Formats: sequence, structure tokens, C-alpha cells
Amino acid sequence: MNSPHENCDADSLDRRPLDPNSGQPLPEREQPGYYPGFSTLSQQRYWDAATRRKVLERVHETPPIRFFTPEEARMMEAIAAHVLPQDDRVPARRIPIVPRIDERLHKGRTAGYRFAKMPPDGDAYRLGFQAIELMAQKNHARAFIELTWGKQDAILKTIHDAKPGDGAAEVWEKMPIHRYWALVVQDCVEAYYSHPWAWDEIGFGGPAYPRAYMRLEHGEPEPWEVEEQRYAWEAPPDAVSDSKGPAIAAHGEHPSQGQGGTH
Amino acid sequence: MSAIVDSIEGPGADHVHYLGSMQTIEFPMKRYEENEEIDYVVVGVGAAGGVLLQRLSRAGFKVVGIEAGPFWDTERDWVSDEAGSHQLYWEDMRVTGGKNPLALGANNCGKGVGGGSVHWAAFTPRFHPSDFEVYSRDGVGADWPISYWDLKPYYQLLELEMPVAGPAWYPWGDPHGYPFGPHPMGGVGNTLIRGCTNLGIPVSAGGPVAILSGSRGDRPHCIYRGFCIQGCKVGAKASTLITHVPDALANGAEIRDRCMVSRIHHDKKINRVTGVSYIDSEGCGRFQKAKAVIVSGYAIETPRLLLNSACDGYENGLANSSDTVGRYLMAQAGNVIAGRFDEPVRMYKAPPAHALTEEFYETDPKRDFARGFAIQTVGPLPIAFAKQMMAARGSWGWGMRRTMMDYNHWSAFGLLGEILPWPENRVTLAEEKDQFGLRVAHVNFELHENDKMLIEFGRNKVEQVMHAAGAEEVVQEARYAHLVGAARMGKDPATSVVDCFGRTHDIANLFVCDGSILPTQGSANPGLTIQALAARTADYLISQGEIIFNSDRRDMTPAPVRPELSPPGTHGVGVPRFA
Repeated sequence: MNSPHENCDADSLDRRPLDPNSGQPLPEREQPGYYPGFSTLSQQRYWDAATRRKVLERVHETPPIRFFTPEEARMMEAIAAHVLPQDDRVPARRIPIVPRIDERLHKGRTAGYRFAKMPPDGDAYRLGFQAIELMAQKNHARAFIELTWGKQDAILKTIHDAKPGDGAAEVWEKMPIHRYWALVVQDCVEAYYSHPWAWDEIGFGGPAYPRAYMRLEHGEPEPWEVEEQRYAWEAPPDAVSDSKGPAIAAHGEHPSQGQGGTH
Repeated sequence: MSAIVDSIEGPGADHVHYLGSMQTIEFPMKRYEENEEIDYVVVGVGAAGGVLLQRLSRAGFKVVGIEAGPFWDTERDWVSDEAGSHQLYWEDMRVTGGKNPLALGANNCGKGVGGGSVHWAAFTPRFHPSDFEVYSRDGVGADWPISYWDLKPYYQLLELEMPVAGPAWYPWGDPHGYPFGPHPMGGVGNTLIRGCTNLGIPVSAGGPVAILSGSRGDRPHCIYRGFCIQGCKVGAKASTLITHVPDALANGAEIRDRCMVSRIHHDKKINRVTGVSYIDSEGCGRFQKAKAVIVSGYAIETPRLLLNSACDGYENGLANSSDTVGRYLMAQAGNVIAGRFDEPVRMYKAPPAHALTEEFYETDPKRDFARGFAIQTVGPLPIAFAKQMMAARGSWGWGMRRTMMDYNHWSAFGLLGEILPWPENRVTLAEEKDQFGLRVAHVNFELHENDKMLIEFGRNKVEQVMHAAGAEEVVQEARYAHLVGAARMGKDPATSVVDCFGRTHDIANLFVCDGSILPTQGSANPGLTIQALAARTADYLISQGEIIFNSDRRDMTPAPVRPELSPPGTHGVGVPRFA
């Protein structure tokens, strides 16, 4: 595990997180994060049948693209690669994001509401593509997917900051920019952190019925969990997403009230 | 280990319908004919509907519950998985607007037998005596048409029926004790206790929460897996699906699941309702005749159904002569305050609901706003936490990956703050329609000055507690929790929809019984109060008997409390009562 991936070209090297000591790109890992050797899937025989079926289906079956056009799907892949970059993962262990979003939009599944000022989710995605493309053309006279990683990241950062300039003002008049950003980030994190490989990365124990947790206090691991082993890493040099920016909630409307339903 | 592994394969594989890991249920249930006039049709089998069906059937009434979602088999249908649990929530389209729009769906709306009690975190504090007289005390909000003391016997009954685990001495409001012992602490509870204690703030550990801390009958104790709001497969957390519905069916109640009620029918000549139309699971339109109708659809679907049932004589919505249906909708301030600790916390273990303080619940003359708030544990699982970090910390990209790699170092508290009832915070009908051709709800929500001051003060207090617990970084996400109001009860028919028993002022055989009848909400989670009100309404209906069906007479005499109608084996069993 965690062996360097071979056959990586220069571009993918540029997009890797760095070792802060050497300044060199870190090797791609089977499993990034601070819990080496931890595997939720290795515990699947202790899960109930319905949960096991649901999680394994997620691991083994990637839904086909049906909502996005091929061109939109390429654009969405480019966006998702910034919202949830996975260049520290070996390609075989990257988690499909866009097919999950496409599946939701194809099936017309919503979170149970639409903000009055927002179009339906599918239309919001399409307006977003339009806006991002306009911004790329206006600022760089090129298509978004042809821009360098750093320029793409910078455009998305202006959307994150809700300061898109005048690149696509006519599109942002049709939907609040912070709600669009929240929609995209929420869909991406739901796809990523629903995957057992992401659970392994963050040390989340995953399903625990019927076996249960026994060690509730002081963050102690179960006998089948592992202790944290931290390592230092820096985001790739061109990435602008690893600074602690101003909270989006500082805008007039809160973008994400209670999506997770925590209480 | 083989025995454990075998049992994993067991439930669900043998076509037995499971309600929790041990309890099973026998089908078929009683079926009433479509043209048979039943006594009560209950629209929505959730927290209130489940209790109503159980009480009314046990008293011998012919009752049918009509539920939009499925009748869950918990082994087959539920999973220990955040992304796989969307079907528990009401995720049909609604439009949400206003200056401070509410998030709906997973946050506050259930679908399926058990309703929101399937996905609640199950905190069960009682309302305080002051909650029932907010207007008299502070000149804001509204007074209830009943007092705490009217509801207290039902709090006591429901705390046994669920039952509730918590400390033997709970100091706030009307002090009392709980029948099951407190739960062991998890990482989040420990940070709340540490932070509160360092600031001299009293704190309650291990409850009150409607989760079994010891096994009882065919329900096992909690296993601390943390998936409370994804539905408790264990059967340790109370939901009416497992606490009241089985007894309802055993007493001849019928539940029609996957059936969406589209209209309540009204006969103008006699000003009485006659039954409900609904679309069944096959998509066929049906009608159920009934002597009386109880709407238990919760704070959005209840007003939506009344508004969609507008008819000759009630052009602005059924039972809406006061123009109050849909108004005074309330959510509680539910800001999540997250703190990062050097040492690991692993907040996914233990129930999200396991420690709280109500020390700031009451109006404090030293503050410049009315009413108060509670501070509670929450335990967001990874997807929920990532979304919170997006809002609270602006996390995305590599920053999101880095934040989430530290998931196990974070603890999270919830502010639960009282937002007052305002007439323009309301449910109306949007132009767009759902899959049944019914106009969907439009929700308008806006904070007022008192609300904003309370949230600001409360949020700062919670952040202080998190810092005092030793957090090195503290961030917060503004959000809301719970929904109540929108068909409120009151004494004055000009300013409320129902009387103190849930009967609409306008129509003598039409009732509303769910969270929508609450005039104010305190800073307590509403689930226990909703079920207590349902038990009280049931006792009233049972006492009135045939009068409800044959007469428009409105007898306001309170009914005797009937503990004998509790589900078997729940009343009077081993209660430490120190209060």
C-alpha cells in the first residue's frame, strides 16, 4: 500500500500534494490520510446484509452518464477535480464523483426543497457550466477545460468567494452564486464521503450494526480500528483551495442550513 | 464469532417484517372496506399519528392511518449509511424562500410510518412551565390554551412508553427524573461536560434521550453506532413505528402506506368533513369515508393539505376562516458550533444526542431579548460534517480534504434557540405541482430582531463553551432545526386554527394533531411534546365518544388521564422518581 504510482506524467506531478520537507510531490497512495492499514470494507462481514449490499454496490457499480451531455460531463469532471481533488490517490482508487451527481439529476432526486431564487438543480448545473465557460473565455480567451490547473482553480475560487467579477454577470443574475457553489460542493462531498475508501482516509468507523462500538471515550479506537499516524503535506503549488478562506456564511444568506440534519 | 455472523444474515432473509433487530410484526392487518364508514381517519402516521392510532384503536374505535411513505421493515429497508438513507426524509419538492430560507428535507421532515420519529436524534426534554405563558410573561409570542400542568401527566406517560433514558434528577423547568439510566459518555458529550464545567454551567449527561440504555422486552439496548438519524436498525431508539404502531395494529387499526392524501372532503350543508381522497400506492385515486378526520402531517404538509382542500365555504383553505392556517411557522435556531481538539474525539460514536444544558433556557432580564436557548451535543457523520465545514469554514478542494482528514479531531455542539412565532413566517401554496398534480408548499421564513439577538448571544455562548473545553479552533454554521406551528392552537378562533384539544374552530369533526398546533416552541426538541399532545387529544376524543360523530357540541371539559391505554408493559414499570 501507499506505494508510488508509476507512469505519471509531468502534469499529474504538478497536481500532487507536496512533502513540505523536500518540496517534492508526494507519491500517490492507495489510501491517503492518517490511518494506514485501516479498512472499513475488511469489516463487512460484521455489517447487516442491507448495509453491505448498499455499500458494495457503491464500490463496484458506477452509474452511466445519462443527464449530462458528453461535453457537460467533461466540464463537470474538470470542476469536480478542483472541488474534490484526488491527485494524491492512485488512479484505481479514485472515487467517482460526476456519475453520482449525474445519477441524482437523471433520477430527479432533490434534497426535498428548492430555494425560491434557484432554478431546479439540473438547470442550475447547466447555468453554472455556462457561467464558468464565459469566465474562462473572458479572462483567458480559452475554454475552461483547456486552461491550466492553476487558472481553473483561480476561476472556481472567485465563485467560492462569490466575487466572479463581470465575466458572467448575466448568468449570475439568474441564480445566487453562493447557492450554486453550495450545491456543487455538497453534491461532490456527498459522493466522496459516502465511499468506504474515504471513510478509511478519515478514520471513520463506518457501519457498526450489529457489532456495535465499545470504546466511546477519548477517541480511542476499537480493536479493529487503528491509531492515527499523521504526516505533513502541502497542497500543490497552484492550488488556491487550501487556505482558510472567509466562511461562506458571512454572505447575507446562509448557503447551507442543516443539510446534514444533525439536530 | 460465527454466531454473530450467522445472526447478521438472519433478520430480513426470512420474509419476517422486522421493527428493530428483535421485534417482528404479523401481517396482514385489519382491512376496512373503502365504502365502510370508519370512526377516525388519521392523515400521517408519524410522531403524533402513531400515538393517536394506538390510543384510539385500543379504546375500540375503527381507525385508519394513511401514510405517504412506506411501512418500513427496518432490517430490509434501513442501512447504516448516510447517503443510503435519503428515503427516510420528505424529499418531494418544496420551495423555500424569504429573507432567511429554511432548509427542509433531511433536516426536519420524515416520510414513512413513524414519520420524523424515525430520523430524530431523540432528545426528549420537556417544555418548561414558562413555555406555556410566553406572552403573559414577556409580551412576545403567544400563550398556550393549556398549561404545563395539563400536559405533565402525558409527559410522564410518554417518557415511560418510549422510554426515556436520562439522569435521575433533571434540574431545569419542572425538575423530574427518568425511568432508564443515563447513557455512557462519548467524545462529544465529554467535551460539552468539560466546557460547561470549566465555566460553572450545570450540564445533563446521558440524556434525556428516547434511546434504551438497557434492554427491555423485544428491544435491545443502544450499541452506540451513531446512525440515529439514519433510522435505528437496532430498535433501541424510540420511534412510533416500534413503540406504538405494533399495538395499534394488534388492536385493529389499519395503516395504508404509500398513500398520499390529496383532499379532505367537506359537506357545506352540515359544515362537517366526510372523509379524504388519496392516491394509493398503485397510483389509483381512492376515497375513505370517516366520521371524523385528524390531520397529523406536520408543520408543512398539514397546512398544505388544508390549503389544498379549499372548497365552497372555505375558499382560503379548509378551517382557515382565521387566515391563520400556514402562519406562525417556527424553526429553532440550530447553529452548529464545531471545535477542533488536539486529541482525537471520534464523534461518530455514541448517539448524537447525549448531553445538554438548559441553563440559558428562560428569559433573563440581564439580556436584551426574550426567551433563551439550550446547548446540545450533535454528532455529524462525515457527509453532514463536510457540508457543515463548507459553510462554517469555507472548505473546498484540498482544504476540504485536509479538514476531513481531521474529522476525528472535531467535536460539535448544537445551539437550540427559541425563535418566536411571526404571522408572515408561513406555508402557502406554490404554483408548481408535485407528482400527484398537487400544488407544493412554499415556505417563507425571516428572522426578527429578538430572534437575531438571541441567536447571536447563544452562538457566542456555545463558542465560549467549546473554547472552555479546550478547542483550539472554533467555527460555526448558521442553520435551523425542527419545524412547528402553522396551524396553531388557541382560545380565540380569530387568531388560531384549533382549540386546546386539536379540534379546528371552524369544523367540529376536523382535528389537527401534530407539531403544527404548537403556539410557541421553547428551546426543547419538540418530539416528546408532540406525542404527549397526541395522547392528550386521544383521551379527549375517547371521553367524548359518539358526541364527536353526532354533534357539533364543543365540550371543553378536560378528559381524565388514561394510563391503561399505554402500550402493554410500559406503564408504572420501575420508575425512579425523585421529583
